Amino acid sequence: MDIFTALATVLGDPILLGWVFLAAIVGMIVGAIPGLTASAAIAMLLPLTFYMEPLPALAFLYVIGKSGRYGGSIAAILFNTPGTAASAATQLDGYPLARQGKAGKAMKVATISSVIGDFTGEILLIIGVAWIASIALKLGPPELFAVYFAAFIVIGSVIGKSVTRGLASAALGVLVAMIGLDPISSTERFTFGNFDLTNGISLVPLMIGIFVLGEVFTQLEERGAKTELVPNSDNDAERNGLSWAEYKPCIPHVIRSSFIGSFIGMLPGLGSAIAAFVAYGEGKRRARNPEEWGKGALEGVAAPEAANNAVSGPSMAPLLTLGIPGSTIGAILIGVFLIHGIQIGPTMFLTSRDLVFALFACGLIGIVMYGVIGYFGAAFIGKFITRISPQVLYPLIFLTSFVAAYTSRGNLFDVYVMVAAGFAGWGMRKLQFNPAALVISFVLASGAEETFRQALLLSDNGLMIFVTRPIALAFLLIGVAAMIARVRSLNKQSRAARLGDT
Amino acid sequence: MSAVPAPVSRTVGVALILIGIGATFVSMGIGLDQYGRWGARYFPLGGSLALLILGVAELWSAKPSPKTDRQHLPAIGALLLLSVVYIWAISAFGYLLSTALAAPLALYIFGVRNLIGLCAAAVLCPAIYHSIFFVVLGVFPPLGAWFDLLDVIGGY
Repeated sequence: MDIFTALATVLGDPILLGWVFLAAIVGMIVGAIPGLTASAAIAMLLPLTFYMEPLPALAFLYVIGKSGRYGGSIAAILFNTPGTAASAATQLDGYPLARQGKAGKAMKVATISSVIGDFTGEILLIIGVAWIASIALKLGPPELFAVYFAAFIVIGSVIGKSVTRGLASAALGVLVAMIGLDPISSTERFTFGNFDLTNGISLVPLMIGIFVLGEVFTQLEERGAKTELVPNSDNDAERNGLSWAEYKPCIPHVIRSSFIGSFIGMLPGLGSAIAAFVAYGEGKRRARNPEEWGKGALEGVAAPEAANNAVSGPSMAPLLTLGIPGSTIGAILIGVFLIHGIQIGPTMFLTSRDLVFALFACGLIGIVMYGVIGYFGAAFIGKFITRISPQVLYPLIFLTSFVAAYTSRGNLFDVYVMVAAGFAGWGMRKLQFNPAALVISFVLASGAEETFRQALLLSDNGLMIFVTRPIALAFLLIGVAAMIARVRSLNKQSRAARLGDT
Repeated sequence: MSAVPAPVSRTVGVALILIGIGATFVSMGIGLDQYGRWGARYFPLGGSLALLILGVAELWSAKPSPKTDRQHLPAIGALLLLSVVYIWAISAFGYLLSTALAAPLALYIFGVRNLIGLCAAAVLCPAIYHSIFFVVLGVFPPLGAWFDLLDVIGGY
């Protein structure tokens, strides 16, 4: 019932609705600009939200994340360049459809599927999150540490191309988080006598550096690459209109993919890209027309789009219930919660229940808004983006990142941190490390350390406490199993690639 | 451990090992708590040893990989240099003047050669960013230690 009260509250607040509407547009544009991601936009806009009330701030960034995931499909279909990693699966059928002059039809399928997927994920989140939180409240420090450990391993090993470099990124995130004073004994760690470092590294400049400035460095290497719109035929109603008969075969794929996306979304670190490709693969396997997939099947657009957006809601579940961000956007939202003094974790449903459900309500309204804007206006957004010159856009983002990093604490040291993080983020991308794993691990490290040390204080047998408690052991094994499965899968792919070469 | 050879495996492996060794030494220098326990050392040491082990794994599984593209390194270096100098300039000359210099330089690095556009950026960027962040949002601006245009304008 909480959600209906929250919906009524949000719908009765025109200013809040205005923020949600603005977020729907901003997210869509940002998601559709090749190279720019919703994470980058959220990191850049984060300092602006420090001056807002908690709910508008959270709703604004949360809806940008949702809308940005959908916006990636615009670039994938219209420009043959996925705006986000997750929309690369949409590109497989979306671009062939655009080349057949059916860009409008593909965009409508993407929009409807995204909206259904996002609604499914959000509703599952609303139904399940309080239940997960009530279970989380019963977990002690050893179990919580085991959950953190599993999250480190999954985030490090499953995302990205290289397991060792992904895990190394996670380890680097832990080391960066250790800089400063130990919260319990106030012992200096990795400060090297530098006073600025005793305060530790702040999350906001680190994120702005890695996601925003790092992307600017990357885009510097892409100078000269032009974004061209596929010649569309908006006036051709037959080609670009979408009938019920055309969408009906997509529905089973959309429902299946929505649940795939929701399940993957709940697991920390996996994210939209994996969900979209799993849904695409599963859809093609079960399709009546698998030979048409990859050549312009509407179902091939519907399946990944539904999964990609279904991730959005459930990815908030580990964040809200355990304080573990399931995605980079979740990691950034932690910053907003902390700035506004809101304690995340299972007790949040006792202390800030109204805020959480109002945020969910904003999410639902945001889905409707980006759905309507996207259904009728995706082509206009595509045309608008082709007019934005990357030569001008990225220098402006470069300048914005400096002032945004400064704004977070009014400290130029943070701006130096941002530049270092930006250069490191670019280097990490170039060398196939995983910047997202670094940031998420950075966020997780303090909670993991706290629970680890609490668990050791509880234990009479030192580290054995993690093995003798069944839930803790189960999570440790999940982490190790995920890593082994990933290594085996990569070895299999490597062997297949070698056989293909010979 | 990747499906296709990751770039510069040996160099990355050696770098991870060196960072791991360095971080391990620094971690072992972290003070013990009042009861002589390792509390504050556990996580830094865990992260350092993890890096060391992952570096060895990276080196162990190193395969020949295609050379990385170095064509854009001068531009990347120029942007990095601009970034560092820009922050120093903010601390010395304040936000307005340093942004007036950094904006056209950033555009130039990205390939903009239109003189009017560069001049417009030098004027508009500081004015717009200053208005949004330091006037509307009320953030206290970084003042220059040597000279600040805001003093001349009379804003502060």
